[in-house]
Amino acid sequence: MSEVAQGRAAEELPGLDRQNGATLGRILGRGRVGHAEEGPDGKMHATVRILEDQLVYDPGILVMPHEGTLELELINDDTNTHCAVLPNNGNPQFIWLVNSARGTATLTLDGPGYYWYGSRTGNDEGRGLTGAILVQGDAPPEARLDRPPQPRP
Amino acid sequence: MATDYVDAGHAVDAVSLTKTPQKAPPVAQGVTYERILKAREEPHNWLTYYGAYDGQRYSPLDQINRQNVRKLAPAWVFQAGSTGLHAGKSTYSFEASPIVVDGVMFVSGWDGWVWAIDARTGSELWQYKHAIPYDVSLCCGNVNRGVAVADGKVFVATLNAHIIALDAETGKKVWDQTYGDVRAGESATVAPLVVKDMVIVGSSGGEFGSRGHADAFKRETGERVWRCYMVPKPGEPGSETWPSDGEAWQRGGANCWVTSTFDPELNLLYFGTGNPCPDFDGGVREGDNLFTDSGVAVDVDSGEIRAHFQYTPHDVWDYDSTMEHILFDLDGQKLAAHFDKNGFLYILDRTNMEPVRVAPFVDRIDWGEVDEKGNVTPLVFPDKEGDPVHFWPGPAGAKEWTHAAYSPKTELLYAPVQDVGATATRRRRDFKEGMPYWGAGVAVDLEDMAGSISAFDPRTGSERWRWRNDIPMCASVLATGGDLVFAGEPTGEFNALDAESGELLWQFQCGSGHHSSPCSYSIDGRQYIAVPTGWGAWTEGFLPGMLGAGQGSALFAFALPEE
Repeated sequence: MSEVAQGRAAEELPGLDRQNGATLGRILGRGRVGHAEEGPDGKMHATVRILEDQLVYDPGILVMPHEGTLELELINDDTNTHCAVLPNNGNPQFIWLVNSARGTATLTLDGPGYYWYGSRTGNDEGRGLTGAILVQGDAPPEARLDRPPQPRP
Repeated sequence: MATDYVDAGHAVDAVSLTKTPQKAPPVAQGVTYERILKAREEPHNWLTYYGAYDGQRYSPLDQINRQNVRKLAPAWVFQAGSTGLHAGKSTYSFEASPIVVDGVMFVSGWDGWVWAIDARTGSELWQYKHAIPYDVSLCCGNVNRGVAVADGKVFVATLNAHIIALDAETGKKVWDQTYGDVRAGESATVAPLVVKDMVIVGSSGGEFGSRGHADAFKRETGERVWRCYMVPKPGEPGSETWPSDGEAWQRGGANCWVTSTFDPELNLLYFGTGNPCPDFDGGVREGDNLFTDSGVAVDVDSGEIRAHFQYTPHDVWDYDSTMEHILFDLDGQKLAAHFDKNGFLYILDRTNMEPVRVAPFVDRIDWGEVDEKGNVTPLVFPDKEGDPVHFWPGPAGAKEWTHAAYSPKTELLYAPVQDVGATATRRRRDFKEGMPYWGAGVAVDLEDMAGSISAFDPRTGSERWRWRNDIPMCASVLATGGDLVFAGEPTGEFNALDAESGELLWQFQCGSGHHSSPCSYSIDGRQYIAVPTGWGAWTEGFLPGMLGAGQGSALFAFALPEE
C-alpha cells in the first residue's frame, strides 16, 4: 500500500480531507491508493479499513492489476457501525460491520474500469464512506477491433 | 493494545436480504430454435425480441380489443430502482422489451440488471447483476434493450461489452465472453437474438470512433462462430467508398446496436448499421462510407454480407439506420420496411435489398431530397468549420431506435414519429481512442417540435392516419389482434389507439416517460400488456425539452378485470 500526495486541493483548502472541516463530510475519490496482491491461487488479496472518525475506506482507491477474483478483508476500526455494498458479477455483496468488526468478501470483476462501493447506512456514502476498486488491464485480444494501434489521449 | 475484533463473517449476496427465491420454473428448457421460428403460433408467449423473427411487433392476442380496452387496468407493477453510484446515473432507464415464456418474464434493466419475474403477479423470481465499470464509455445512457431465451438459458449483453449466458432457473452465470473493447470506446446495449445454435449480438460505440461489428457465438458454450465488420478494410468490397490513403475506415462507425431481424427461408439476418465517425465531419472521410447507415443482409451461418442498401451515403447528420427492418410478404413480394432516422420510409425487396418505394413519414425534412428509388441529394449540411447549420430531422431522427409495428390484419405499418430539428456546428478534432468523436457541437431544438403515431400503407407509402402529440413520440409501438396499437408518451401516458382510425381509446399515466418496447402475452387465457417505463437515456438527443422530467424505473402489466 502506498501513500500518495493529496494534491493541491488540500493545500488550497485546509480541512478538505477531514470530517466537519472545509465541508460537512469528505469529498469522494480522495484518500490513499492501495494495491491488491496476487496470491499463488491466482486470486488477488487486499485489506480495506474504515478509519476512526474519518468515515473513509482506507485505501480509498484499491487497485486490482487485472480482472479476476478479489479476496477482500474489511476491518471497521471506527467506533460506529457501518457496512459495505460491494460490486460483484452475479449479485452485489453485502457485509454488516459493527464497531471493531472484521469480515471478508469475495468479489469477481471483469474490468477494466473502476467500480464504486459504499456503506448504505444513513448518509455514510455522502459523508465519505464511498470507495473505489480499480481494475487495470485490457480487453482480451479476441475481443479487440481489427485495426492498427490507435492514438490515445 | 491489539483490538479484539468482532467476526463480521463473509459478505453475502444482497439478494439474500430480500424475499426473492432465486428460483424460476424450468420454462426455458423447452425453448428451441424451432419454437422461436414459429413464435407467433404460441401467442401466449413473447419468445424473442420483436415477438417473432420478422420484427413485426404484432401479437395475435385479441381478448383486449377496441370494444373493451376502456376497462384495461394495472394488474401489477415491478420496480427496482438503483443503489449506490453507478455509470450514467443521470441517464439510466428501462429500454427493454420483456421476453415471456409460459408465465415467466425475463427482462433486463440498466447497469447490468437482469430479472426473472412471475408474469402473473409481478413478483421477482431471481435477479442477476453484472458489475459495470463506472467509467465505461456510454454515448446514450445506462440502458439495455433486452435478453434472449433458449434451451434453459438467458442471454444478455453487458455495458462493458460481454455476452453472458445465465441459467434461466437460477440466474447463475453459465458462460461469459468479451466481444468488445471498452478501451476503444466500445460497449453493448443490444438485445441478443438466438438463431439456430447461435446467439447473435452487435457492438455499440459509434460516437467514439470504433469499427462496428456483429458477432455470433455458440449458445451452448459461448465459443465464437463469426464476426462481421460493417466497415471494410482496404481491398475488401466497399473499401472504395473510404479514403484510400487514410485511417478513416479504422474509426468508421457502422455499429449494430439494435437487434437484427431474420428470414429463415433466405437464411439472412437484417442488420441496421449506425452512423459513420466522426458523425458530423465528413471532410475526414470522403466517399459514401459503406456500410454505415445501411440495411445489411448477412448470411447467418457464415457472417458474410450478401446484400445491402445504404440509406444516407456520406452521412453528416448522425442518421444511424440501426432501427429495425420489418419483414413481411405482400402481393407475392418478400419485403422489408424500414423507417430511417433521415425521415423516409423505405420498402425494400429483401431478397436483394433493392428499394421498391420510398416515401417521407415526417412533415419537416430539409437535410436533403430522396427520390422514389432512394437516390439522395444533400441540401443542408455542416461543412464549414464553425458555421452553425440547422436541419430537420435532428440527429435523433424522425424515428429513433424505438420500433415500429406491422399488423398483418390491417396490413398497416405503425411508427412513433419525432418531428424535431437541431443545429450542428462543425468542429474538427483529432481522433483519440476512447474519446467522443463527433466533429461538431450539436444542440437539439428545445421548441417548435411535434410527434405522432402514424399509420402507413406499405403498398403506397402513404399515411393512412395520424395520432398527434405536441412533443415527439419516443417509444416502441405494439400492434395486436384486438385491432389496437399501444404506444407510450414521454410524459408518462400509455395509450391504446384504434388500429384502423388512430382514435385514442384508453390511456393510463405511468408516472414516468416511455422509451421502451411493450409486449403482450397471456396466462390461463388472460391477456396482459406489459410495458417497461422510465425516462432517461439520450434525452438530450431525442427530446431535450423533457430533460428535466423524473426518471422512474417501473414495469407495468395491464389486463382486463377478472370476472
